[in-house]
Amino acid sequence: MIVEETFVQDLKTKNTQAQAFEVLVNTYKERLYWQIRGIVLNHDDADDVLQNTFIKIYKNINGFKGDSKLFSWMYRIATNEALNFIKQRSNLQGITDIDYQEKLVSNLQADVYFEGDEIQLKLQQAIATLPEKQKLVFNMKYFQELKYEEISAILETSVGGLKASYHLAVKKVEQYLKTD
Amino acid sequence: MKKNNKHPFKTPEGYFDIFQDELMEKLSDDKPAIPKDSAFMVPDNYFETFNDRLTGKLNAETKVVQLYPVNKIIAVAASIAAIAFIYVGLNWNTTDELNFSDLANTDIEAYFENNDFGLSSYEIAKVIPVTNTEFSDILNSPIENDNILDYLNENINDFEELNIQENE
Repeated sequence: MIVEETFVQDLKTKNTQAQAFEVLVNTYKERLYWQIRGIVLNHDDADDVLQNTFIKIYKNINGFKGDSKLFSWMYRIATNEALNFIKQRSNLQGITDIDYQEKLVSNLQADVYFEGDEIQLKLQQAIATLPEKQKLVFNMKYFQELKYEEISAILETSVGGLKASYHLAVKKVEQYLKTD
Repeated sequence: MKKNNKHPFKTPEGYFDIFQDELMEKLSDDKPAIPKDSAFMVPDNYFETFNDRLTGKLNAETKVVQLYPVNKIIAVAASIAAIAFIYVGLNWNTTDELNFSDLANTDIEAYFENNDFGLSSYEIAKVIPVTNTEFSDILNSPIENDNILDYLNENINDFEELNIQENE
């Protein structure tokens, strides 16, 4: 914890800020990328959101009070940025979030950065049908293998609630995969 | 072979002994295996080059902020507004002869008079809808019958030229 406090202080201090920020980016860029990619699905969109996430982190680091871990705080920013991105895009197109996400999944077949077979495509279709919270929990638990305690800190939800959400999500995904 | 005493059917040797194993095997086959790999990929060297692109974007954003601070924009806008206000105030009473509508009309008339558009009647007809269009729609004042008769009297030769039978 001392190390994190020192690191956060480095991020806030002008002389050490640039170097500390580089360490921060190097440490978290991949993890945050996959968190974002799981929501927006498309690589170019994920890249945009990831850059905006780090810019937001850079601009708001002075407002980070240390109430939660830096990791949880950044994950929360990345998640909110990605969800807002989806909402903005769906609003622009005049369709619901669900319809927009179904559209994203249908675009995966033509996506050069998606090399999934039929079952993997169907898995993404199944995830797209989940409610937002279950979708987030499923992605974070199943693909990123985060601990419930970590997800709890990021989404600010109880561990019990998360376990229930994950259980429901897995059941729904399995049911979807069983149907032809 | 095992035979049921009450009906004539029989089962293969050891069928019930291996049934459970076969069932479990089949169940595990049927169980939908959720693929762990999400199959999403990133371009080559994406993460290696990410820092440079982020730095570029970050610098661009902070430079914009430094070059055009809001306070400066407000100050410049206020200066322009003040100068414009003083200028209008000083010249307010010197524009008695022309008002805005006069200026607009004279400008438009001068423009049409001084510019040769070279539009053929066909080109004009293309932009004016024929249906439900009356002459009165494009004329400020209606044409008096006397004026039409005068015009015809003065230009009667042109109409004679249009007499098809005579020109045949």
